[in-house]
Amino acid sequence: MSRISDRSLSCNWLRLAALCIFIFSLSACAAMKSVRETTGPFPGRHETEIERNKFAVARGEDVIGRLAVIRLEKGDTLPDIARHFSLGINAISAANPGVDVWVPEAGERILLPLSFILPDTPRKGIVVNLATMRLFQYKEDGTSLSVTTYPVGVGTNERPTPTGQMHVARKAVRPTWHVPASIAEDHRKKGDDLPAAVPPGPENPLGEYALYLSKSGYLIHGTNKPASIGLTATNGCLRLYPENVKTLFDDTPVKTPVLIVNQPYLIGQRDGVLYLEAHTPPEESAAHETEILYRRLRTIEKKAARALDWKKVKEVQAEARGIPVPIFELRQGSEKEVAKPVEVEHPETLYGKPEIPALRLQAWYVLAADVPDMIEAQRIAAIINHQGPQIPARVFQKSDSYRVIAGPFNDGSEAKKAAKRLKIDLEIDGIVIEPFKNG
Amino acid sequence: MKKNLFLITMMLVLPTLMIGCATTGDLQKVQAEQKMIDAKADQALKDAQAAKTAADAAKVKADETSARAESAIKAAEEREKAAVEREKVAEEKAKKAEAAFEKSMKK
Repeated sequence: MSRISDRSLSCNWLRLAALCIFIFSLSACAAMKSVRETTGPFPGRHETEIERNKFAVARGEDVIGRLAVIRLEKGDTLPDIARHFSLGINAISAANPGVDVWVPEAGERILLPLSFILPDTPRKGIVVNLATMRLFQYKEDGTSLSVTTYPVGVGTNERPTPTGQMHVARKAVRPTWHVPASIAEDHRKKGDDLPAAVPPGPENPLGEYALYLSKSGYLIHGTNKPASIGLTATNGCLRLYPENVKTLFDDTPVKTPVLIVNQPYLIGQRDGVLYLEAHTPPEESAAHETEILYRRLRTIEKKAARALDWKKVKEVQAEARGIPVPIFELRQGSEKEVAKPVEVEHPETLYGKPEIPALRLQAWYVLAADVPDMIEAQRIAAIINHQGPQIPARVFQKSDSYRVIAGPFNDGSEAKKAAKRLKIDLEIDGIVIEPFKNG
Repeated sequence: MKKNLFLITMMLVLPTLMIGCATTGDLQKVQAEQKMIDAKADQALKDAQAAKTAADAAKVKADETSARAESAIKAAEEREKAAVEREKVAEEKAKKAEAAFEKSMKK
């Protein structure tokens, strides 16, 4: 009798265990589903770090790096994300069309264009592609080749960076900026008299390191305006982020060859797949650049004896997002080798993000703007914060408007100097605010 | 002859009386029917008037609704126009700010 009751008891236990396992497996399925859902449209891996500067170059391959995605947090700006990941503002803007550069939405997913097609040049010394605003430094170690790449700021249309072969003539730490007469004249017209020479320090636009090129008057240097990397803002020199120019300076001996090219359309292969990276070419050379690209693609098409998807080529060209896009299988079945973007975790702090000091009642301030729109106020504050040297600024909410307050400044002259810079550089008529009087 | 005359008179008077009686009855019947029809007509008229009043009221309401809808559409269009205008202004301001920023990044 007791054996019978034992058996029925154990049967019940078995049923209970089976039920528990069933319920547990159901919840596990739900958990898996939620994981899949959170990866969203970019189902790549989650990573805390991603390579951004140094890459190995495999023999016969032209594409380096990986695309990545990051979720923005409140207060992020695209220039801050760009600097942290060693990208130029041009690259991050082109890769993310329609995203507000200064006031993007928190939670928005941003594509980090950390994959590059190497320019069509000999892989030796330093190569700068003006169209992509990137510098490539090749290093050969025995049989292996590596490349270190940095974003750069280049010359304007009026004062363009020269192209061609040159070399590093000399190097200097903490260089003095001898102001060219043309630049001094430009500043004088704006009411900003520059001295004949600007010594090293925060006001020096050359930053802490300079590599003087053999073409007289042209330098590769750092900057006191890091937000200008990826812009056509120089007088023909090449600017790098302060942290990048230090590495380049240390790694580059005098007489290193420097080749400056302008290649808006890059084609290259990786793992049997042909990629096209398109950047918007200057209007005057667009037709010529397209002709060169099509000629190269027709040669590849002929060699492969298969038709190219020309519609896709034209789409990539029109979008000009500056990222390598697979356009052709050189080896049949190789398209599956195309890597998906990896999801990168947002770092706790973004490298180089301007910090805003705490408010002080005894400090001086400048009222930079009083506007009805919050986004406009936030944009103005962000732009002021990214000046070089930085002018700290924040937004105060009033009952019917938003005020942009620059500061704190230690004294009246500092505040007046900031107000003058706001006027000259940003055409903002700031109002100096005196500190609270004691007693 | 007298007898004949009486007979003829009776023959004439009786039917006349009979016709007269029939006419009165008929008249009463007709009058009663007329009254009923009148009452019905009154009711119908009342109903018609009520229907017309209701229709008029409905028309007024419909007209009012249509007018309100029209003004709502107009207001929405105005709002949309204003929003587009605001967006345009905001976009222009953003472009202007960006241009100023890029200029400020020069040496």
